[in-house]
Amino acid sequence: MIDFDPIELELFKNIFISISEEMGAVLERTSLSPNIKERRDFSCALFNRKGETFAQGSHIPVHLGAMPLSVQASLQAVDFEDGDLVILNDPYRGGTHLPDITCISPVFIKGRLQFFVANRAHHSDIGGMTPGSMPLASEIFQEGVIIPPLKIIRRNQMNQDFLDLLLANVRTPEERRGDIQAQIAANNKGKIRILEAVDKLGLQNILRHTRLIQNYTERFLRDTIKHIPDGCYEFSDFMDDDGLNPEPVKIHVRIIIKEDEASIDFSSSDAQVEGGVNANFAVTCSACLYVFRSLVEEDIPFNTGLMRPLTIKAPPGSVVNAVYPAATAGGNVETSQRIVDVLLGALAPALPQDIPAASSGTMNNVTLGGFDPVRKINFAYYETIGGGMGAGQNAPGLDGVHTHMTNSLNTPLEAMENYLPVKIQRYGLRRGSGGKGLFKGGEGIIREYEFLVPTQVSIMSERRRHAPYGILGGKSGKIGRNLLISQSKQKVLGSKVNFKAKPGDRLRIETPGGGGYGPPEK
Amino acid sequence: MKAQIRIGVDTGGTFTDFTIISKGKISTKKIPSTPDNPSQAIIQGISEFLETNQPPLQIIHGTTVATNALLERKGGKIALITTKGFEDLLLIGRQVRRHLYRLKGQSPSPLLSRQQCFGISERIASNGAIESKISLPELERLIKQINQKKFQAVAVSLINSYANPHHEKIIHKELKKAKLLASISSDILPEHREFERTALTAVNAYLMPVISRYLKNLEAELGKAKLYIMQSNEGYISPATAKAEPIRTALSGPAGGVVAAFHIAKAAGYKNIISFDMGGTSSDVSLLDNRIRRTNEIKIGEYPIRLPIIDIHTVGAGGGSLAHYDRGGSLRVGPQSAGADPGPACYGHSHIPTVTDANVVLGRLSPDFFLGGNMTIFPERSWQALETISAKIGKTVLETAEGIIAIANANMEKAIRVISIERGIDPRSFALFSFGGAGGLHAAEMAAHLNIGRVIIPSHAGVLSALGLLLADSIKDYSRSLLKVSDKVKPDTIDKLFQALIQKGLREMQQEGFQDKDIRFMRYLDLRYLGQSYEITIPMRKQSSIISDFHKAHQKLYSYHHTQQPVEIVNIRVKAIGLGRKIKLRILPESHRSPDAAFFKWQDVYIHKRKHLSPIYIRARLQPGNIIKGPALIADTESTTFLPPAHKIQVDGYLNLIMERSV
Repeated sequence: MIDFDPIELELFKNIFISISEEMGAVLERTSLSPNIKERRDFSCALFNRKGETFAQGSHIPVHLGAMPLSVQASLQAVDFEDGDLVILNDPYRGGTHLPDITCISPVFIKGRLQFFVANRAHHSDIGGMTPGSMPLASEIFQEGVIIPPLKIIRRNQMNQDFLDLLLANVRTPEERRGDIQAQIAANNKGKIRILEAVDKLGLQNILRHTRLIQNYTERFLRDTIKHIPDGCYEFSDFMDDDGLNPEPVKIHVRIIIKEDEASIDFSSSDAQVEGGVNANFAVTCSACLYVFRSLVEEDIPFNTGLMRPLTIKAPPGSVVNAVYPAATAGGNVETSQRIVDVLLGALAPALPQDIPAASSGTMNNVTLGGFDPVRKINFAYYETIGGGMGAGQNAPGLDGVHTHMTNSLNTPLEAMENYLPVKIQRYGLRRGSGGKGLFKGGEGIIREYEFLVPTQVSIMSERRRHAPYGILGGKSGKIGRNLLISQSKQKVLGSKVNFKAKPGDRLRIETPGGGGYGPPEK
Repeated sequence: MKAQIRIGVDTGGTFTDFTIISKGKISTKKIPSTPDNPSQAIIQGISEFLETNQPPLQIIHGTTVATNALLERKGGKIALITTKGFEDLLLIGRQVRRHLYRLKGQSPSPLLSRQQCFGISERIASNGAIESKISLPELERLIKQINQKKFQAVAVSLINSYANPHHEKIIHKELKKAKLLASISSDILPEHREFERTALTAVNAYLMPVISRYLKNLEAELGKAKLYIMQSNEGYISPATAKAEPIRTALSGPAGGVVAAFHIAKAAGYKNIISFDMGGTSSDVSLLDNRIRRTNEIKIGEYPIRLPIIDIHTVGAGGGSLAHYDRGGSLRVGPQSAGADPGPACYGHSHIPTVTDANVVLGRLSPDFFLGGNMTIFPERSWQALETISAKIGKTVLETAEGIIAIANANMEKAIRVISIERGIDPRSFALFSFGGAGGLHAAEMAAHLNIGRVIIPSHAGVLSALGLLLADSIKDYSRSLLKVSDKVKPDTIDKLFQALIQKGLREMQQEGFQDKDIRFMRYLDLRYLGQSYEITIPMRKQSSIISDFHKAHQKLYSYHHTQQPVEIVNIRVKAIGLGRKIKLRILPESHRSPDAAFFKWQDVYIHKRKHLSPIYIRARLQPGNIIKGPALIADTESTTFLPPAHKIQVDGYLNLIMERSV
């Protein structure tokens, strides 16, 4: 017997989602940096007073599981008052990696804290060793400014001193100021909409439906897990290296499916490493949520209800649950992709019709920085490059797309060339990189940059040694390559490098293809 | 002036609608569409006017040929020429996948395959400097190859051509020599962002063969009649222009309706309205604040169409939207639709309940008037269909029906929020202008939810798009990218750029047959704070105040502005208007006849679980000045208006129904 009204549930669902979407619309349209605006590297969500989500705009999967941990960390760190806004990026206190800045606003109703609204956006620089803040670091201190949960706005009063300190430590302060302002505006919009809804529908009614909507999402996932045969499924795969040492980094998972619950155990994964590919628990959690969410066919609201049927075990001090002060810049963007690969690899035998071969498995992060003599300003620029999608049953992999944990847009090269001392000489698909199979893996991308001024370049990439796997007899996708062409000499670079390019140098990134599905026809 | 007959023809998926003005009188007509050859229905509808001794005939045509060709991938076989190294631009797009949580890839078939994309050696820098000259021998070889492969049209889009079209012009010349249809990016959209520009240029080329063929046939059949084609930017153009830039006619379908809404509401004294066109599968909403608002952020399928297009937001909720109970326990409505076939359960061919069935069960539709009484429906089938759901959710059939309507309304309200509140505009000061087959049934409750005080339901609500065609002007849009910070551009540089576009517009409007006195120009700048990547289009009133206008607009849209931040001029835009011979809407004197003359019969209507015995009035018999109090139904040939309790309707001099809450 159902204890709720299916009509009311649908109406409330509509209201909650539209609030988080409206916050997203404000953030997208008011931010300054292309990374937030054109590439939509952000997420917005609504929480109950315990910090559990009940609605989240689904923009970037890697933010999904991490957002509740941000609110919970803030709840421990500060006493919220009406009119506050807490900002943070500390991966060990609610963040994921330093460039992701989260803003959290409490919503008070009649003097009592009832909700939070929050958003997270990837900033294209947060200080540290190299422009773009995705360096090859061995400690988090080198990666940029660490912001523990603190009140950037206290009772509607901006903490200008803090903002000045922050902006003094980043390479593009005006852009940061604009983006933070946009994040504040997005939260304000969310707050106003929640207050309106409370006014119209009553607090108790809304609180009740925040719970009902979590139960609703939970039911979908439980029903989906119930259809996976009970059993124990294991898989492991490797990261190429940590950027500082040549050894591969193993990620192992063991999933036990029992009725409508899944326990996910990463205990046999490697210990945390020196280089910056460590994932904190939030990132690992997001990757698990992403995979299980994707098994649900329907369009469902994303919220804490998804967590309930899952138990995640990741030992502290491992590469999937790093502890302070390990460097984490790449955990969010690279390790998260490999965690998805092992989860899918484990589930593939159980669901051969649903699970595809491995996708390119890397976001191919490229950051550029330096001084532009024409415009007379410092520049810091960050972008990611897509690759081939893995093939599935009756579904060849897509060519040249972002897969799994990210879905950010490319920056138009005509926009890049207008604002940066760099030229794009080639941008196309990498033919023959998709794994052969009954259904073929998608092709990777080739993107070639020419630097017009001395430029500090950092590359954080993966799948340069360990190829994206094929399944059921399908071939693996081709590994990626990073090439530096300097005075017509070609040099193959590592998967994770920092270097200073000279004017005229060209950097060619060839991204991996997706794995194939089923044996190729002879 | 010579007597003239003017006809607006709007081809829709199900019906082709006509509005005919002859000797100052308006008449309307509806004929089933002939999708395989849309001109067949057109000729059938106007054949009586095609006699030789008729006064001159002018036809303004809204067509879906372009949109359908694009969605069904039935365009021409085209080639794309681009800068070498960038041949895959269209295949990569913006490197995103459509569905975030689908593990398996699904991609719609692309307009053209890799074998149809050709690179040529050349390069232009972002400042317009030619870095590497185009290779003429290579071009010659390329064109030969294109000719051999029998491509029907060629799209040309080179990197940074918005900054310097020189190389594209050279290619264009050679294509002309080779007698190939050409679509050139620097002509059609000289703006930065290579994917968007290339996509538009390619889509345009893709449509050229189809539209050329269609219009050539139609012109031949129409003989001496003068034909014009409606565009999605609220104005019409000549067939010659439509053949060269067919992309401008895509999405022209809903444009006529918005133009009609604008003029009818304005005549009746309402400048600020939200037009709400609810059809069978979807609803279109648009906000008009004393002007028709436009956007250039529309997509058709996978392809962005960066041309100024009436800002219409579409949501998948209509009369045919299907209701179902999902496995998480929520009642869902749409976006799947029963369409015309099988249609709602009450048509007798399906068992799945729709929004229309909910209205039937609640007594808000009269079976006697379904599509003007020309269609028999089976109300008991609606009831049975709803029972399948109500049993599952533990509610009565009537409760379930009201729930379905509330959920459909919520979906449509969300669309209205997007075009109003999300753009910084408070809908409460607007009137809801409701039309389309199902609009009148939902308007009152939606208005109440949005705190909108007044609803306007026009006459001719069923053929409003066709009427709008006769109220439109001829419009052409021009733009070019500048990408310069405002204080680094001299005022006369901007003037010169405007003048160049205006001269082009003047020439083309003269070619369309307009005299100088009937041509108007509007100037706009697309502005943003340096570093942003979305622009706001600001009308240029005075050059001195344009920056402060921008700060104000930014404040209104996004609730903040930066007076210190440099402002970048991204694009320069000119809208050229050729004033058309519009029909005049006639006002009728107030009648002293009572609305009782329009009374048809009584019917039970269910509202908030209560039964209300309500009168049905026949709309065609209502007179100006008539006042009707709710609850009541007003039945028209193509639609029914539901008037809830505590609401009243007054019929105005244009025979619009003006609905308000009565105190």
